[in-house]
Amino acid sequence: MRSKKTLLAVGFFLIISVMSLIGSEANTPPTPEVKITPELKEKFPMKPHHEKLAFKCTDCHEGQGDDPENFKAIDDKGCLSCHKTKQFLADRLKFMDALHTNPHNSIHDGPKLYCDECHFEHKKSDNMCLSCHSNDVKLWMRPTP
Amino acid sequence: MSKETMSRRDALKFGALGTVGMAMLSASNAMAAAPTEKDVKFDEEYDVIVIGTGFAGLAAAAKAAERGYKVLILEKMGRVGGNSVINGGGMAVPNSTWQKKYGIQDSGELFIADCLKAGLGINHVELLETIVKRAQDALDFSIKCGAKWQDVKPAWFGGHSVPRSLVTDNMSGSGVIKPMHEFVEKLPGCKIMTRAKMDDFVMSADGMSVVGVTARINYRFDPKLLSDDVENKSGEKKVYKAKKGVVLASGGFSMDKIFRKIQDPRLVEDMDATNHDGATAGALLKAFQIGALPVHIDWIQQGPWASPDERGFGVAPLLTQQGLFKFGLAVDVKNGKRFMNEMADRKTRADAEYVILRKDPKSYPVAIGTYNTFEEQIYPIIEKGISGGVMKKFDTLDAFAANYKIPADALKATVKKYNEDVKNGVEDEFKKQTLKGDSLKELKGGDPIDMKGPFYGIRLVPKPHHTMGGLHINVKAQVISGNTNKPIPGLYAAGEVTGGTHGASRLGTVAITDCLTFGLIAGENI
Repeated sequence: MRSKKTLLAVGFFLIISVMSLIGSEANTPPTPEVKITPELKEKFPMKPHHEKLAFKCTDCHEGQGDDPENFKAIDDKGCLSCHKTKQFLADRLKFMDALHTNPHNSIHDGPKLYCDECHFEHKKSDNMCLSCHSNDVKLWMRPTP
Repeated sequence: MSKETMSRRDALKFGALGTVGMAMLSASNAMAAAPTEKDVKFDEEYDVIVIGTGFAGLAAAAKAAERGYKVLILEKMGRVGGNSVINGGGMAVPNSTWQKKYGIQDSGELFIADCLKAGLGINHVELLETIVKRAQDALDFSIKCGAKWQDVKPAWFGGHSVPRSLVTDNMSGSGVIKPMHEFVEKLPGCKIMTRAKMDDFVMSADGMSVVGVTARINYRFDPKLLSDDVENKSGEKKVYKAKKGVVLASGGFSMDKIFRKIQDPRLVEDMDATNHDGATAGALLKAFQIGALPVHIDWIQQGPWASPDERGFGVAPLLTQQGLFKFGLAVDVKNGKRFMNEMADRKTRADAEYVILRKDPKSYPVAIGTYNTFEEQIYPIIEKGISGGVMKKFDTLDAFAANYKIPADALKATVKKYNEDVKNGVEDEFKKQTLKGDSLKELKGGDPIDMKGPFYGIRLVPKPHHTMGGLHINVKAQVISGNTNKPIPGLYAAGEVTGGTHGASRLGTVAITDCLTFGLIAGENI
């Protein structure tokens, strides 16, 4: 009896979920596709670690239409949708805390800076620490990814 | 005009008068008069709006929010804390509980006398008296907000007659800013917006009082612009009402390439400062536009202990002040001679360096020392200075002279005379206070410069550090109008954006005191 009931329940659940899947597909407008041309690649170069993952424009610029010229910068939320949390990023560099050189948990700001104070996807990143520690940063860190 | 400012509406009326309407309209844009409440539609309403998130702004916001007010804090940078968060964390508190605990005798009169001496007597004494009365309260308030101060004997900073400076537990102003930021964020009705730049004050219909601000959110400060305040068009416009008033705590202008050069033409555009990039005069100028009185604007304090071989504050100030200046010496590279008392006040030394740099902007003077001129607490920084390239080390004076292109014989003669004068008890030509009396007992080894070497060198350049001048305020942190000589209703100011407290030159570690005290007072009175 019991297994029959379970089977029924599972079957019912499956039907409902397939229906909802079909429904959702029908309701969501298709994600706009941006054709990536060599010119576009030159204008908006990507960081090699992101390029390797074969990202499309709209993976990050979600819901921003299909014209790259009108894309807006994604905020912290965009970055953290893959990179988890600022605390996670700070903990990953915890070994640098010993010398107070962890850029994601600095003595000045803790894990609170905007990602794009330093990291830029389509242009060269800029290490904010350099504005006061221009000479010793190169002893602590490689170029900012 | 009877009003404090000419409103946009008035300007439009003028423009509509005659055939030169368009010309008048563009003239009114150039005048950029503050809008009145009739010209705008408020997007949001608060009791209090605070401009800036440094010591002064956060203290004002925390106090006002604690009193139950709904507070909006606008910060144009992405980062909270401005100069305060990169500051060294020292706070002078006269007659503090700390001094009593560690048996140090101090008095308010002594503190004021010290400030007047450094300030060349032009300080506004009523503001110093207010600091004497309220600095302990400001310190206690910072502790209530979560700041931690080292429980050790107060430190003795230059120009102070007694030790009276506390230092945060992490030796940075962030030791106050971080907990205060969290404290403020947790208070109900208190909101901090970063990348949000105040553009204009919004005046009452009669033009007499401040009733709000216009601002831009999603603002991205651009350090590459000559004048971010004028050229930067980023962000989306918003208008915020402040029912009780606005506290301007927007800081100093040591990084304002245009305004600082107008005040002191020696500060050329590409000159570095010890400040963060956002330390510009924009908000200060907006206060002037609605009638606020300026005071001491051209007294810009420059650190004579900085180096052109690194950006910002860096490590040179520590290595020169605690390593090369006290017993070592500084020379003009053109002739190998000394040119200043290396232990004079900041202004005297910066001026002496400028005399050399005016003749040849690249002929930076060089400070020289040997191992025995360094204080022990600075030893760990020596390696950092050398590996970073700010400080250089040479085995002989000849090598030293060759590197900095100093005539070697002249340099050797200068050092020889410097050592001999000390040995013979002859006062040196610049009457350096550390080369006589009890101070010499601290000198390790025989001569001030140990001829065995190695010789350490740092190139010197003055860097703008603190702008003493700003808005004229009273002891309640109200901004005074030049049109009425009375407070501008609804406008308060605190911190480096104000002037008068420090006179011609601020003593070290009195900035935090000034900012927290008057921030607290603004928050109490608004």
